[in-house]
Amino acid sequence: MMALRTRGLGKTFRVKKKEAGLSGSFRSLWKPQWETKEAVRGIDLNVREGETVAFLGPNGAGKSTTIKMLTGILHPSFGEAEVLGFTPWKEREQLAYRIGTVFGQKSQLWYHLPPIDTFELIGRIYELKRDEYARRKDDLIERFELGPYLHTPVRKLSLGERMRCEIAASLLHRPKLLFMDEPTIGLDAVVKQRIRELIRERNREEGTTVFLTSHDAGDVETLCSRAVVIHHGGVLIDEPVEKMKREVLSRKNVTLKLAEDAELVDLPELEGVAWEREKREIRLAVDLKRTTIERVLGELIGRIGFTDVNVEDPPLEEIIKYIYGMRMEKEETGWAKR
Amino acid sequence: MGEEINRWTAAGRKAAAVGKIAFRHQLAYKTDFAMRCFFLLFILFVFIQLWSTAYGGNFETVISGFTLKQIVWYLVFTEALTLAAPPLCARIEEEVKNGDVAIRLIRPQSYVGYHFSVFASEALTRFLVHLLVGSAITWPFVGPPAFGYGWFGLLALSAGALTITFLLLAIVGLCAFWVEETSGLYFVLQKLQFTIGGMLLPIDLMPEWLQRVCAWLPFQAALYFPARMAVHYDAALLAKHLAVQAAWIAVLAFAVGRIYRRGATKLHVNGG
Repeated sequence: MMALRTRGLGKTFRVKKKEAGLSGSFRSLWKPQWETKEAVRGIDLNVREGETVAFLGPNGAGKSTTIKMLTGILHPSFGEAEVLGFTPWKEREQLAYRIGTVFGQKSQLWYHLPPIDTFELIGRIYELKRDEYARRKDDLIERFELGPYLHTPVRKLSLGERMRCEIAASLLHRPKLLFMDEPTIGLDAVVKQRIRELIRERNREEGTTVFLTSHDAGDVETLCSRAVVIHHGGVLIDEPVEKMKREVLSRKNVTLKLAEDAELVDLPELEGVAWEREKREIRLAVDLKRTTIERVLGELIGRIGFTDVNVEDPPLEEIIKYIYGMRMEKEETGWAKR
Repeated sequence: MGEEINRWTAAGRKAAAVGKIAFRHQLAYKTDFAMRCFFLLFILFVFIQLWSTAYGGNFETVISGFTLKQIVWYLVFTEALTLAAPPLCARIEEEVKNGDVAIRLIRPQSYVGYHFSVFASEALTRFLVHLLVGSAITWPFVGPPAFGYGWFGLLALSAGALTITFLLLAIVGLCAFWVEETSGLYFVLQKLQFTIGGMLLPIDLMPEWLQRVCAWLPFQAALYFPARMAVHYDAALLAKHLAVQAAWIAVLAFAVGRIYRRGATKLHVNGG
């Protein structure tokens, strides 16, 4: 069964155009000029119940706007959508009982009060029976390990602690579909990993459908089974993460911090590794289809004196640029078009 | 019918829960509370001096039906009500600007209903505190507030008065769904409340033509009605004032509903 379905869903905004300077301000006052901006350009999506879908794209691609239309916050300019059988912008309140939403950059917790107070409020707002609420709350507190700071005012929590509370708060009413807009933004690697595990667990144990946007390739790899990439407001790619991983997520960036100038270092030839030097740093792009991180680091230890090493996924913008380039190339060379 | 009752009961429970948490949350803003109380003391002191001069310090003189004592207590009540209203317009405008409106709209609760619960919780607390603070300075200067049933009249009309204030502020605040900048509109609304709402001067002291204009506007129902009823209790007039308030609440609530529904289709939520 479908958890959500959209057909040609789109949103346009009118933006006031203003010329620079004081004269521009006066002109804009007398004769305002408007420009229509297309934030989302007719998106077609199908998400089955229980799926974990990554909704990706560079800044301004329309990810957040799409999530806001699917949760009923924004009314679309054209197209249609059905989420769990409801039209989000027409039946916002009925839909709200069945979905959970986490915005990584916005908080739903009451700032001066401890998280437990917001949990209590959510229990009332979603009309949960008292015993059912108590059981669910205790379960989430245990799983998300919230006990130590449940009674600490939100303003005194770290970002990681707060995010765990935010996600737990969104799960209190057992949503069937969880929308997450950049849930790991600004978090350190350990907290990110813990949050990913907790979301996966909810998906596995309760069958919660997850629809997630992120700029972090790690979120996509560890959490999602399918990836939809949008660019310039339209769907660019829609395929299993495994396939995407084989095609484009097969690279890691390794940064070596050196004790000496990078120009003085003699770099060995390694298969599947591209180098870049900058001051006291060497950056390596490692192709995991041809080699492994273990092998590369094994070769370097002892040959190069480095003080620190950092292994990370390439930024999603870079991956999307790569996908975009690849698609264009396929189309130009007459390869099978999507 | 039964389903409708259940829906309203659930909405009432949600409103009570939001009101309760909003009450606890506002206790964190102690400095804000203290500053407002200090301002109230200051402004009432100025009013007491001003009206004492106008009455020549005579407690027996009656101007347009008000003695010095009555007019000073009238001002305590209008000031307590005016300063009780939380900055709703600024809140809605800020929510639209920083995108926090999204957090309100993900809940199975009416957006306007949520703001009304927060407003009511904060306004009632502030109103009671302002009454105490206002009394503390007024009592020594003009004597105790011995108004008998007037207190009942004040409390009976204050709930409607604050509801009308909320609805007026909501109309201006919801304009942020279109224009993102409502401070100009709020400035005009505030000055109308100060003048033809009867905050600075009882409407009885205004020219007759202006009194007739005021009678057709909602502002007097938000300030003048409760304050005047407190110092001049009249059971028949109380019933009439309650009916006028109910009518304005119906009209303004309808307007707020229409504006919200239209605004929701225009809303552009900023930021991630």
